[in-house]
Amino acid sequence: MTKQINTLDTRRGGSNSTSPFFVAYPRLGFFISKGVFAFPVIFMGLFFALPLALTFVWSVFERTMFWMKPAFTLFAYENFFTSARVDNFLASMGHSSISVLIAFIIGFPIAVFVRRRVPQVAQHRVILLFILPFAVSEIIRIFALRPFLQRNGLVNDVLLKIGVINEPITAILFTPTGVIIGEVMSFLPFIVFSGFLAMEAVPKYVFEICDDLGAGPIRVFIDVIMPLAAPGIFAGSLFIFVNGLGVALLPNILGGPGAVNAGLIATQAISALDFPLAMAVSAIMMATLLGLLYIGHRLFNLTRILTPIS
Amino acid sequence: MNDDYSSKWGYRLKWLYTLLVVTTLMLPVFFVMYISFNENGFGARDYDFTFEWYGLIFSDLLMMDAITSTLILSAITVIFVVPMGLITAKLYKITQYPLAVVSLMLSPLFVPSDILGAALLVFFKNLNGAFTLFGEWVGASWFDTWFDLGYFSAIVGLIIYTLPYVFVVILITMGRYRQEQTEAARSCGATAWQAFWHVEFPQIRTGVFSSCAFTLILCFNEYTRTSLLKGGFDTFTTVLVSQMLNEGMSEQSYAMSSLVSYIAIAIIGSVIIFTLVRSERLERIARAKAEPLMAS
Repeated sequence: MTKQINTLDTRRGGSNSTSPFFVAYPRLGFFISKGVFAFPVIFMGLFFALPLALTFVWSVFERTMFWMKPAFTLFAYENFFTSARVDNFLASMGHSSISVLIAFIIGFPIAVFVRRRVPQVAQHRVILLFILPFAVSEIIRIFALRPFLQRNGLVNDVLLKIGVINEPITAILFTPTGVIIGEVMSFLPFIVFSGFLAMEAVPKYVFEICDDLGAGPIRVFIDVIMPLAAPGIFAGSLFIFVNGLGVALLPNILGGPGAVNAGLIATQAISALDFPLAMAVSAIMMATLLGLLYIGHRLFNLTRILTPIS
Repeated sequence: MNDDYSSKWGYRLKWLYTLLVVTTLMLPVFFVMYISFNENGFGARDYDFTFEWYGLIFSDLLMMDAITSTLILSAITVIFVVPMGLITAKLYKITQYPLAVVSLMLSPLFVPSDILGAALLVFFKNLNGAFTLFGEWVGASWFDTWFDLGYFSAIVGLIIYTLPYVFVVILITMGRYRQEQTEAARSCGATAWQAFWHVEFPQIRTGVFSSCAFTLILCFNEYTRTSLLKGGFDTFTTVLVSQMLNEGMSEQSYAMSSLVSYIAIAIIGSVIIFTLVRSERLERIARAKAEPLMAS
């Protein structure tokens, strides 16, 4: 019982603080500490959840010359679904899915390797290495891919010198391939991080049992790792998928004329002062995200990801 | 059999692969650094080593101003976001609805920058319109500029962007802290603040400081939200992008990008090294304390 009372006291923060001010006004102290704890939640509700929810409302507003006015019209959606925009959106979904797959194939084995073979104390240190790319601005990393991949860039130079190709490959940059390379290079660390967290759900002894029973690596992956680590894998993949759809810089800098994703459609609509269209694209993105999250949660119970931090 | 120690070479190959992937991710950046020392710029046949382009950076007043204003923007964001992350992590520990808190705090990770930027832009423009109308109704012009696009809106965008990272980093460091220690301090007569500042904070200090460094760098490097919500070309990334798009990649842009990358890598690198050295030291102390007990 005593313990419980103590816990309650701690929970209230400064409520029974011994400073004379709070002794004189105990309720004030209680409200201040309540307010302090509620502040970040209110902030995120007001400036994050509310604007995103309102995109659905703004998307049915009517466009005026420079702004928009309250109305109910589906013109922006019609504009989106009856033009090349929807094709671009679907194509960018395809590219994004390919990036997710490639990032998974390259990155996930690293997470498995680190969890399984690297000594416990050193595991976090290896994973920290993958934070290093984030020290460099995304702009610089994406721009840097241009001199890297272009006609007289490093990749072509090296391939020419070692004689693998006779003339420079021009089909890398300013094509969907360029965008996919950019997405993989930008988001790969996230699959390593989420994979690493996900592998927490797979105890090390499970691998020993698998070895004892003579299961091969593919069997272990499909029958043991996948079911246990599915929520984390799904979260990492969703992150890459959604960002591949939404980060306008990637197709803008690395893609050709046809490479347009949802983020680019939205920012172009804003430059053209077509705010309802930008909001419709945002609303479609949000609906896609929420739909995928719902499916993921039904299939894998995403709350399992939180086990390591709680 | 593929048991843990069956193949030394397999183990080494996997290490090699991991390091190769990290290097590949950094390779374009290293290439930019390499170009920045070439007197003849990118694509030239000859490579002449020079520091010339680095010297020119500091003569570019536009860029210098941009860097100053970006640093101010990042510093203000850090001042707000780190306490917010700390409070949220504490809230997560004591609330009855941890799932709701964690979903709200982590969901910005899944909303792409352009989509959030666009939504916030329209939100601020609407708020501004509403407050101007309200001001007209009341007969005061005081409300007109509250939600103008500028530092305030950009900082709000940056806080939403960085809060999930700060929250996670602090929450992970808090994982090692046991709530009973606070209870012990409170029953010894400490106030809630004293219990936090003298007992809990020293134990989570590493997480707080690393999240400060990480936030500073994320804000400094951020482009989309800043450019949508700030307006004008006067931050580091917006100036860099406008230069790159208008004049192409000049030698100076390469030097500028490299310089910023060195600084950022140095900061993140030293944070990583500091964290590692510290955790090593703590482990050694813990082992030293544990051993006599183990022996008895």
